[in-house]
Amino acid sequence: MTTEHEHCYVVDGKLALPYQYLAGRVGSKFIVSLRDKKQILGVKCEKCGIVFVPPRQTCEKCLADLTKSWVELSDKGEVTNFTVVRKDDKHHPRKAPFVIALVKLEGADTPMAHIVEGIAPEKVAIGMKVKAVFAKTPTNTILDIDHFEPI
Amino acid sequence: MATYFGIAVDDIFNTMQARFRPEGAAGMDAVLAYDITGDGGGCWKITVKDNTVKIENTDDLAGFSVKTTVDAETFVGISIGKVDGMSAFSSGKMKVEGDMSLLAASPRLFNRFTPPKKGVTVHDIFATLVERFRPENATDLDMTIGYNIGGDDGGQWTAVIKDGKCVLETGLRADATITQIVTAKDFVDLVLGKLDPMVAIGAGRLRIAGDMKAAGIVPKLFAKFTPADAGEEQELIVLKRNISVNMKYSTGRHLGMFLDALKEKKIIANICPKCGRYQLPPREVCAECRCRVEDFKEVGPGGVITLIEDVYYASPDPLTGETRETPYGTVHVLLDGCTPDCTFWHFLKNEDLGNTKEGDRVQPVWAEKRDGGVHDILYFEKENG
Repeated sequence: MTTEHEHCYVVDGKLALPYQYLAGRVGSKFIVSLRDKKQILGVKCEKCGIVFVPPRQTCEKCLADLTKSWVELSDKGEVTNFTVVRKDDKHHPRKAPFVIALVKLEGADTPMAHIVEGIAPEKVAIGMKVKAVFAKTPTNTILDIDHFEPI
Repeated sequence: MATYFGIAVDDIFNTMQARFRPEGAAGMDAVLAYDITGDGGGCWKITVKDNTVKIENTDDLAGFSVKTTVDAETFVGISIGKVDGMSAFSSGKMKVEGDMSLLAASPRLFNRFTPPKKGVTVHDIFATLVERFRPENATDLDMTIGYNIGGDDGGQWTAVIKDGKCVLETGLRADATITQIVTAKDFVDLVLGKLDPMVAIGAGRLRIAGDMKAAGIVPKLFAKFTPADAGEEQELIVLKRNISVNMKYSTGRHLGMFLDALKEKKIIANICPKCGRYQLPPREVCAECRCRVEDFKEVGPGGVITLIEDVYYASPDPLTGETRETPYGTVHVLLDGCTPDCTFWHFLKNEDLGNTKEGDRVQPVWAEKRDGGVHDILYFEKENG
């Protein structure tokens, strides 16, 4: 069978989804603290001893309620893993190429994903020490930490 | 008393008399009966006649014009706007007997119930008085402080201070060192710092009987009262975004031919070789016979409306991601030459919305610049219109 391409077109479209994201009580406290105090908060499960950053309502191991177990974290940490984003997308927070890393803060047991800047992507390495740079203007999102940069 | 959303069923009926709007009751002569089931429920009869209302808490609901049976929680929810009345009715949570149209009129009868603002009460203040006592400022002190507080929320208390301890008694003592006489509202305002004591004394709103010198040390004897809900309400973060995903739609050859024809101001359908059905826009395969359809024919451009839709709630347009302005009209048009089930869907001219009916003849209005898209036709308009 022959393939005929005459009259065949590709039409560009957009699928728009009006969307509402609620950060919840725990998430809101985390974001508000970043935004107003430039302080990263986590929660600590007293039973398991695990410090979760970003904070969550319930311990994933013992299901304890962590909503009243807040701890303040350092703004410094270590890259535990990373990826280089090489394809642009309008929903990405930066133009490609840029680095999304997992950063485990000092005192935390779980890493958080964030942007690492101020270093060429090919020089980013696991174990690298980084420090949070807070946003100058509030965003009401996790981007109230603008990015992490090498120390 | 059972409460729902912090409100009891009684609260709503007890305030009805005050919320009654005679102007909303003009010409009405009816008995609205309510059978509120569940905890905190009961039966109420509302008689509206000659621009007056009578509200009775009675089990005798005989002679009603309309009777509503609903559980207490749903009733309170509807009254304060937390529950949609129509959905409560259609889901069967609320049952109505008699003349339903009276229920539709009932919102005009009463001003909306607004829950009373929860303020600090005199009782709240006395509940924490002893724990707010500061013994370090009461060394060697032996005094009694009487509180004679008027008004609905008022009462009489005496704080007995001796040996570095404070005991609160109800009632007054004739031999109190000092006695404050004040209304409940002013007392709360004084404690919260909204009313200056000197101003209150000057205006005669606060009277102090007894040893005025002793009165001066009273403020030091107790720590400041802070309302239980004084903590700031937590800020909750909500993000509202329009997530927009880029899409690519492939036309295929058949739809592509249709779009190409639009550039030339032509509308083409294709005709099934088996059943003779027209398809518009054309498809590769007949939706009924599953055979390939290669026979194309120009139809229209005029036609007859078979269905009109007035759109008041628009979902986003998948081509632009934008939500159209409402209201707008869409029409299904049976273009001249097509078989009866082959209608074509498009917009109706805005000006024709509301004065066009099914069966009217319409014609397409073409875009000046056409690039082979469905919007090469702007909309359909009435012929000779």
